[in-house]
Amino acid sequence: MTSLKLRARPLGDAAVTITFGSEKSTELLRRIQAIALSLEAKRIPNVNDIVPAYLTLTVFYDALDTSYHVMAEQLLDACQRSDERESSGAPSREHVIPVRYDGIDLESVAATTALSVTDVIARHTARTYTVDLLGFVPGFAYLSEIDEALHVPRRPQPRPRVAAGSVAIAGAQTAVYPLDTPGGWHIIGTTGMVMFDPARDPPALLAPGDKVRFEEAG
Amino acid sequence: MITIAKAPPYLTVQDTGRKHSRAAGVPQGGAMDFFALAAANALVGNSPDAAGLEWSLGGGSIRFDRDTALAISGATVSATLSGRDAAPCTTIYARPGDVLSIETIINGRFLYLAVSGGIDVPVLLDSRSTYLPGHFGGYEGRTLKTGDSILLRPEQRQRPVEGFHCAADLMPRYDSGIVHIIRGTHEDLFDGSAWPILTNSAYRVSTASDRTGYKLEGPPIRNTMGTLPSEAGCPGTIQVPADGLPIALMADAPTIGGYAKIAVVSEADLPILAQRRPGDEVRFELTTIEQSQRMLKRRAADLHTIGQLATRAVRR
Repeated sequence: MTSLKLRARPLGDAAVTITFGSEKSTELLRRIQAIALSLEAKRIPNVNDIVPAYLTLTVFYDALDTSYHVMAEQLLDACQRSDERESSGAPSREHVIPVRYDGIDLESVAATTALSVTDVIARHTARTYTVDLLGFVPGFAYLSEIDEALHVPRRPQPRPRVAAGSVAIAGAQTAVYPLDTPGGWHIIGTTGMVMFDPARDPPALLAPGDKVRFEEAG
Repeated sequence: MITIAKAPPYLTVQDTGRKHSRAAGVPQGGAMDFFALAAANALVGNSPDAAGLEWSLGGGSIRFDRDTALAISGATVSATLSGRDAAPCTTIYARPGDVLSIETIINGRFLYLAVSGGIDVPVLLDSRSTYLPGHFGGYEGRTLKTGDSILLRPEQRQRPVEGFHCAADLMPRYDSGIVHIIRGTHEDLFDGSAWPILTNSAYRVSTASDRTGYKLEGPPIRNTMGTLPSEAGCPGTIQVPADGLPIALMADAPTIGGYAKIAVVSEADLPILAQRRPGDEVRFELTTIEQSQRMLKRRAADLHTIGQLATRAVRR
């Protein structure tokens, strides 16, 4: 692995964003996820939250108890050391999500991709996906990467309400809607798995780097 | 207990928000004008993170079922407590049966009500805040309606002084409309025209503005990079979508996003922006992270002073 050129910048008064590169790649994303896990394990004082993303890792801290410069220096150093150790962090967890392929857009996805419905289901269940990042709404995990034959752009008009548990695809990614929210992805199925529950610890079923497989429910 | 005698169009339970769940995609949330809520809390002897009510879009009334200290802060309103004038930023004592009535919001956007002890709703992910898009937190994850009754936490031992009024110099300069910003994580991706436009123009808060974000209308900023790989944002982040009109992310903004982040509003001034209504003007002034963090610490010290004065721990 090549060593990374790190750069720290303030994200407002209470966060540092550390940039690890300028080109999106699976390798870079997994390295950032591993660094995020190792930073978490360090339990650095005044750190509230660590949010890994494609090119960056953002650390939120308590601005009343420290300063940007103290945090940036400490975090750059910690990221560099953790990356040099090439630790892969905690072993990623694997989840199997049962799906009823009864989504409102299943037929139209089949038509757009010139595949049969059976084939769409077969291709969606064939792969093991990895969680790229969480966001959009609580517990929403972007999973990569779906079979190229299933790549369809987002719907031109998002639906005002997509039900929690809807399994959907858009572009190269798939996801499960954790809450009733507006949404522009193509809904191909439904799961009864609770992706997000604010009363649970941790609240989100999936975490960055986790592996996910979908299984057709009988 | 307090009872919503006549609910305003928008009324939710809020506190300082969720600061440990962003990794799970949970927005920070909390009071839009967190300073006003903290000041109201200080006036009733509460800690800054006690839950209060966030009130907007119109009048309404609340009945108190126990003796309690209360304070209102934030938006300018005409308010009465059982017929007597209820002054803003002032410690007021309510008797059982007293009714706080807000006739109308005169200026600003969000009014805060703090009651001694704070609002008692279940804590979810370290906070009592209502997150409406997720239907969780606060009172059953929703806005309060007429007839709802909410429990209060036990009163603080330190009883605040009745009639104590917080001096204006301890509050943000809401009337100035000047909001300090620091450079954002993508500021170097914008061309040379961007910063002069952002800092020398007046922007108006659009009608497309809510707890998630405030769209700003004014001279567009050239964005040649389209969308970027998603990364973390925070309340106060000013991002520029393809149309060039900046959007300031607010309390309930998603934790990540793909628009270029040109600037971030100083936390000390975010309440000033939060209180701007659609059509109100705002001007941005560049500052440094060092200065911005100093301003924030100063605000925290002012809040501490309000609390000390209100409970007569110190005299001015």
